[in-house]
Amino acid sequence: MALLEVSGLVKHFPVTRGILFRHQIGTVKAVDGISFSVDRGETLALVGESGCGKSTTARAVLRLVEPTAGSVRFDGEELTEAGTDRLRTLRREMQIVFQDPYASLNPRQPVRTILTEPFKIHRIDPGDRVAELLALVGLAPEHEGRYPHEFSGGQRQRVGIARAIALDPKLVVCDEPVSALDVSIQAQVLNLLEDIQDRLGLAYLFIAHDLSVVRHIADRVAVMYLGAIVEEAPTDELFEFPSHPYTQALISAVPVADPRKERVRTPILLAGDVPSPLDPPSGCRFRTRCPKFALDLSEDERRRCCDEPPELVDRGTGHPAACHYAEAVAVL
Amino acid sequence: MTAGREQLVSVEDLHVEFHTDAGVVKAVDGVSWSISPGETLGIVGESGSGKSVSALALMGLLQKPQAKIRGRVLFRGRDLLAAGEDEMRSLRGNDISMIFQDPLSALNPVFKVGHQVAEVIQAHEKIGRIPARKRAVELLAEVGIPNPRQRAQEYPHQYSGGMRQRAMIAMALALDPALLLADEPTTALDVTVQAQIMSLLGKLQEERGTAIVLITHDLGVVAGHADRVLVMYAGRLVETAGADALVHAPRHPYTLGLLSSLARLDRRRTDRLRPIPGQPPSLIHVPPGCAFHPRCAFATERCRVDVPPLTGGPGHAAACHHQDRVAEARAAVVEA
Repeated sequence: MALLEVSGLVKHFPVTRGILFRHQIGTVKAVDGISFSVDRGETLALVGESGCGKSTTARAVLRLVEPTAGSVRFDGEELTEAGTDRLRTLRREMQIVFQDPYASLNPRQPVRTILTEPFKIHRIDPGDRVAELLALVGLAPEHEGRYPHEFSGGQRQRVGIARAIALDPKLVVCDEPVSALDVSIQAQVLNLLEDIQDRLGLAYLFIAHDLSVVRHIADRVAVMYLGAIVEEAPTDELFEFPSHPYTQALISAVPVADPRKERVRTPILLAGDVPSPLDPPSGCRFRTRCPKFALDLSEDERRRCCDEPPELVDRGTGHPAACHYAEAVAVL
Repeated sequence: MTAGREQLVSVEDLHVEFHTDAGVVKAVDGVSWSISPGETLGIVGESGSGKSVSALALMGLLQKPQAKIRGRVLFRGRDLLAAGEDEMRSLRGNDISMIFQDPLSALNPVFKVGHQVAEVIQAHEKIGRIPARKRAVELLAEVGIPNPRQRAQEYPHQYSGGMRQRAMIAMALALDPALLLADEPTTALDVTVQAQIMSLLGKLQEERGTAIVLITHDLGVVAGHADRVLVMYAGRLVETAGADALVHAPRHPYTLGLLSSLARLDRRRTDRLRPIPGQPPSLIHVPPGCAFHPRCAFATERCRVDVPPLTGGPGHAAACHHQDRVAEARAAVVEA
């Protein structure tokens, strides 16, 4: 049994107008029925561009936002039905690391207080855990008296990670944990996340937009577009045989730090912008920007894209892709 | 580097200091480079390496009493650092333009985009309001904004991130400047939008022969678009080379360190990343000798004392006492 099983997860945000007579004028379909699972000790990366719903998914999984529908099973237990007390107990097992450590650490608390807080909430004696945690994330014992502003960005992220692993969770959701950091510091934090995973055997749900980082750290990758998962595969398979036109465009657009390779690569340029999640296109959500739809498909084939939302299933490419005409293409 | 006659801009021994209560911040510490017409020069470095400040100094956009600027910036033989405010104002936009990382804060939120583009043209040319508006719409069309006539009547907040950056590019290129300073032009954008914007910049550069200084922290962007690259660390230039040589045969330990700490999209994972230990120094307390020595695996006693000069050929130079050892170490890694 997987550690985390998400099925049919939906998060809709109402859009309202009016002050006295508030009425709903629309629904932002941030997450629109997605399913995935994370095994023990595994890293699943959820990738996609801004507004695709990856962070909302992360928050809905932890019930930091209330899911509109769907099921989230953690260790066999249904989270969407857990009461407040039960949820609090369960949260010992599932933690989160945010993108901006400066915004997620209390500026008026020294690191010692920040790190003992989880123990206090769960009425556990921290003992020597603070010193152990600092050592585990590569900070010095004397750092415990310092405040967040006295640290660099990379060190602050280490504090954020120490807080997340304080209670020995089984799952840590990492929401863009290295996006705000410089490259040389990014590598330090990525190595730290891997070391911790090796030592504590925890699973990561890794939310990121940087595909290079994802290729390095993830075991499996799910690609999101406009609130839905469009492709899912083991990491190397996804990068070597991407089968959904969006995944192909996404991978081809990332520049590689090798001028010889860059000279022979041409990015697949997508037309226009992501449509509004208030009113996603009918059928396949990607069709309005899909190069395959625009250039390769016949009139009949296109009609199918407009009418019928493609399911996330394997169409002979070795892994599931939500495209009626999925076909593996090497773009690297 | 010597400033040949064909250089469009040459920066000579540029220093920028900020005097603060905590001490003197040496943001740029003796940097020289040049760019020829139509060339793309990449400047890479991490936060606080002085790459943006160099560009702001060049544009005359630093507040004078706070920022102490020394050195020379020659543009077509004129020293920009000695130029008066009026002269700079006419140069900016006409001859040199700049685009920024965050187009939303660079655009005025209370004016329509078309108006703002037209304003740039009117500020520099004797042209009526109506023809300026018409030119603005043409420019918006040229940078790939759909329905430009209608979009010109909208405000910046109605644009997506990518469209705002397109509008900024339209303003920057309105008067066909010879040099465009692009300061992290795609950092705030998604990768598919980044690809659109970079290909747009490439197309416009080809049509107009604009020289571009591309300031970025992303070695991938540099690899794909720069002819030549400068690497900055703690306000100094540590290596300069063609993009190929820089990536495949780096001669400075910092460049080597940046490349080895990079997660790669195009390779199966073989091993852990090899990060550079420690953190970049505070620019108030830059380490003596080579600024990189506390983080450097090649450092010796000499590095703690002597600031290494930029040495090497005209095409590839590095500021390191041990550049031969760095090159050997790199070659050993490539062979293995």
